[in-house]
Amino acid sequence: MTDPNPMTPEGTEPFLELTNVSRVYGDEVKVYALREVSLRIMPGDFMAIVGPSGSGKSTMLGLLGCLDLPTSGSIRIAGEEITTLDDTNRTRLRGRTIGFVFQQFHLIGHLSALQNVETALLYRGMKPNERHDKAMDALERVGLGQRWDHRPVQLSGGEQQRVALARSLVADPIIVLADEPTGALDSKNAENVMQIFESLRSPERAVVLVTHDLGVADRADRKISMRDGEIVGDDRKVRA
Amino acid sequence: MISRNFRDLVSVAIGGLLARKVRTLLLLMGPVIGVAAIVAAVGLTDSAKGDLKRKVAQLGTNLITATAASSFGSERPKLPVDATERAEQVETVEKVSAVVQLTDITVSPYEKARRKYETTPIPVLAADTRLPFVLEVDMLSGRWISDADAEMDSRTVVIGSGLANEIGYLPGENRTIDLAGKPYGVVGILGKVELDPTLDNAAFIPFSAADRDFVKEDIQPTKLYVRSDDGTEQATADTLRTAISLGGPDEVGTEIQAEALQLAAQSDKQLQLIVASMGLLAIIVGGIGIANVMSISVIQRSTEIGIRRALGHTRRTIAQQFLLEAMVVGFLGGILGVLVGALAILVGVWLSGWVFVLQRWIPPAGIVLAMVVSVLAGLYPARRAAKLEPLETLRLG
Repeated sequence: MTDPNPMTPEGTEPFLELTNVSRVYGDEVKVYALREVSLRIMPGDFMAIVGPSGSGKSTMLGLLGCLDLPTSGSIRIAGEEITTLDDTNRTRLRGRTIGFVFQQFHLIGHLSALQNVETALLYRGMKPNERHDKAMDALERVGLGQRWDHRPVQLSGGEQQRVALARSLVADPIIVLADEPTGALDSKNAENVMQIFESLRSPERAVVLVTHDLGVADRADRKISMRDGEIVGDDRKVRA
Repeated sequence: MISRNFRDLVSVAIGGLLARKVRTLLLLMGPVIGVAAIVAAVGLTDSAKGDLKRKVAQLGTNLITATAASSFGSERPKLPVDATERAEQVETVEKVSAVVQLTDITVSPYEKARRKYETTPIPVLAADTRLPFVLEVDMLSGRWISDADAEMDSRTVVIGSGLANEIGYLPGENRTIDLAGKPYGVVGILGKVELDPTLDNAAFIPFSAADRDFVKEDIQPTKLYVRSDDGTEQATADTLRTAISLGGPDEVGTEIQAEALQLAAQSDKQLQLIVASMGLLAIIVGGIGIANVMSISVIQRSTEIGIRRALGHTRRTIAQQFLLEAMVVGFLGGILGVLVGALAILVGVWLSGWVFVLQRWIPPAGIVLAMVVSVLAGLYPARRAAKLEPLETLRLG
């Protein structure tokens, strides 16, 4: 279904692979949110998933993020089949491999910017100072090293989203999954955040932006279009 | 690795509690009030009796009193005339003193008080010279009734410490008090009689004076104070009953004074149990409060829980976080409860002049109880928190 990524060598394992995935809601009246979808997310991908409301984007996001399980089909993350994992192992796999950025930022209100970033590194047997240093590095990377002790209410929307970005990166995930990352931001802050996303292009990582904003989607190298629970387009932009 | 993860858990739980101070304060109320009530209940009843227990230990346990238990045709039962001699025949008896309770004598310490003391009479006892020696009580001031008083038929009176206090008698003061119209000179104040506090408010006169002024027939003791050899109290008390009555018409009753005191020192166990049960009830109600507030908190914090789950925190970790919050609440509440309870005991002791008693096992038991109740109360909210799905709490798309 997908063309091979010209940036990745032949035979490279995909980071994330959906094969004939369906997600059905309801018992008596079945509603197909996703229907027989297959998708390979490769190392180095910088992709957008676009589509109108009800196209299945959110369901797709839940499945890609390992937050939900398909009704049928297979999902493999870093070669591991998630549908056969128990909740604990699936959660651990999620924490190891996926970084989330949400439209509403979803920072924890009573924690400082630094503590919010550190939250992604808890329960990993890490020394506190090691965790602190990693979180500070991530904050500096998004330009907020000076504001590490500010709580979310003391930060602007753009800054909060940058903290969320730092949190999504701090554990070195192979996939950064962003849900309408600029949806709650003004154009200046949105541009700022998009520039950071663009700086994340790397052969060790894939970035997936789920959006209905075509301006955001146009900046991606690969655009997956969805409609009525199916993928209707997978276009790759050849970068100069 | 495990210890580091546990440290992470502790810091997250404490951070969660510190972030919502009012809620945490509300959570603390239950265990604090419950533990404080239990500690105060047990401690106050122990402290109230602590004084008595100390006295029993100090005073010795070998004081026995003998009284006439019943007497046909007589309103006021009396012991035989030679009861003292009979008691002294018992081998294990160390020393004996007899007193006679005199009736219908109005004592008037000063003229204006006559009417008052007609309605609330001061007990007048005729006593022998050995009473303080048998009671093992020192004189507060002056002297006790002497052989010379008996020989000279002098009208001397010794007053109890409580009575001295009541009538404002100063040690060494020359004072005459009126006993049914006869002037008696005060020669001394008897020290506090812990084993028989009724003596503190009495006036004591020599047998000879009582015989001349008030008793027209043979003088019969109403009560004997007996000291037995240590360890023979019960046997002596039993033997005394027979030895004194000698098959006569009057029965004799004996009582080991320390036993009566010890009984008094334990008689409030039921009260203690009732108040402690109320404290337990308070802790349980507090536990329900914790379950309630934490359940609401789970709803309020559902987004936070969703974020943590999305970031890779397992269900078990989330549940542990809430349980640990409950445990910390129980621990802090327990400590505060013990402190508040101890403070209540101190205030009670200070107000009532008791001895501070807080049994050593009570503080740790209170803290453990508060923790157990809090953790049990946290189980349901923790389960609910762990069951939350990130997709339900984080709106996507």
